[in-house]
This record gives sequence, structure tokens and C-alpha cells, in this order.
Amino acid sequence: MLLNGVRNAAIARMQSDGKHGMEHTMALSLRESVHLVSDPKNLDASVEEVFHLMLGVRCEREAEPPVIEPESVTAVVGFGGLLSGACVFRSGGSAAMRIAARMTGMEFTEIDDTVKDGIGEICNMLAGAWKGKVPDLAANCGLSVPAVITGSDYNLHVQAPEFQLRHGYRFEDAWFGVTIVCDGLQ
Amino acid sequence: MREIRTLIVDDSSVMRKIVERALRQAGLDSLVIHEAGSGTEGLEALRANPVDLILSDINMPMMDGLEFLRQIRVQNLAPGVPVVMITTESSEEHVKQAIQAGAQGYIRKPFTTEQVKERVLPLLQAA
Repeated sequence: MLLNGVRNAAIARMQSDGKHGMEHTMALSLRESVHLVSDPKNLDASVEEVFHLMLGVRCEREAEPPVIEPESVTAVVGFGGLLSGACVFRSGGSAAMRIAARMTGMEFTEIDDTVKDGIGEICNMLAGAWKGKVPDLAANCGLSVPAVITGSDYNLHVQAPEFQLRHGYRFEDAWFGVTIVCDGLQ
Repeated sequence: MREIRTLIVDDSSVMRKIVERALRQAGLDSLVIHEAGSGTEGLEALRANPVDLILSDINMPMMDGLEFLRQIRVQNLAPGVPVVMITTESSEEHVKQAIQAGAQGYIRKPFTTEQVKERVLPLLQAA
């Protein structure tokens, strides 16, 4: 339901952009360049760019979290237009607070609205940086505003995606995962 | 140094703080900051407060940054005030749309303090 909501929001945003002069772009197709769109290096480069510029840290790939925390934070930004799907950011609560602290210069002891806001913005920048790696995608794919959920014991399921990139990263002892799910490609 | 009255429009309060910090790090110490979480709130803020500089996100709920920009011009709320868009949208098409709507500058998120300095300070000097 969450994924459908953010994807629909991104599609609506893309249609709104179309009213202002982007209608012609829908004749394009990404089918020929799916290998570029799904290149895993683009996701690594996007994570590097966002975390280095906004947090001043370097991230390394690390497939799984060293510790499974009871509470996690998940942010979702939907894609709409030539590509539909979502960018999903997920981390444990302590990593989310560490990231928000780096962004704001504040200290956090709980996952409050500022932490959720910061994680949503990180997901937004990751989604924007990722789609910006492929020019046709940058111009013809809209983003939804971020949705953030917190809690425990939940999973993200997407039926038969066109492709899915799922990478884990670590800086210091903070682990996070980023997933790009594409469930429609024109 | 004179005060620079600045309106920052972004649905993320964290991003508004980051933009404010970047402006101060860019050398704008004497800032008076007004914040808004959407284009609608941004218009209300402009009706209540004269400003010297506007920085706005594009992708926001209720009223996005491009419509906000058009409404500023239509309602003549901030004549001669430079507007810089700060957004994750980076394509030439989006930049073109923003410029057509009346923006004088465009900064892509994520950004560096240096980029903020390069794009904002010349606009303030020219205003």
C-alpha cells in the first residue's frame, strides 16, 4: 500500500510537470537502455555523493547489518513517468539517529520527527541522484515526496519487479540499506 | 554588514536548517531567516515579511516550488528579489522550467557550501 501510494504520487507529479511543457518526453523509451538504468554502479555512486556531500562521510558496501535492531526506520520515495517504482532507504534506529545527527549537528536519543524528516530527505536525495545518472531518466521521471515509517517486524514485498537493486552500506558502525525497485519501464 | 532577510521554503525542516547553515558558512552572517514548509506557506510568509533572498525546494506537497515561483510573479509579492531553487531535480528540462518560471539560480541537492556561495552571493551583490 505504501509503495502504491508513493508511486501514484510520483506519477501525479510527473503528470503535473507535463502540464508545464514536458508532454513530448513521454514518446521516449528506456527499454533500449535498461542496462544503464539498472547498472549497480549508479546506486553506489549516488550513495557516495549524498553521504559525502551532506554528511562528510565515506561509505563502504556491507551486505548485511552487523546487528539487527528491534526498531528500524524506512523511507520511501516513489518514481513515476518513464520508470515507475521506488527508492527505499532502511536502517536501524541507531544508524538513523547517527545520520540525522550528522545532518543537523544535533544529538538524538529517540527517533523523533526530526530524525524521520532527515531520513526522508536522505532518501529523496538518493532517489534524485540515482535517476540523475541517466539523462533520459532525470528528465522524464518524477519523484514523490518521501514517506517514512518506523517500527519492527515488517518487510517490503514487490511482485515481479522489472529489476531490483538492493545494496547495504556502512560508515563508522552505522549500517543502512538502499533498494531501487522498478516495477514499470516504458 | 546589512541584514539579509531570507525566506527558505522546503517541506523538510532538516533541509531548511542545512540551507541556513550553508548560507552562514558561505559568509552570510547577518541573516534573518523566515521558513515555510510549502509554496502556500511561502506566499503567506512573503505577504507578512519583506525579504532580500528566496531559496525554494521544487518537490513539495500542497504547492510545489515552480507554482510558488509563478505565484510570486503573478501576485508581485517580491519584485526584484532573487530566487534560487534548491532541489533534487537536476535535468536541463527542470532547470529550464525553473528559469522560465522566474528563478535566477539553481542548486542541486546534495550541495556543497561552495556551490551555495557561488550561486547566491553574486545574486545578492547584483540585487
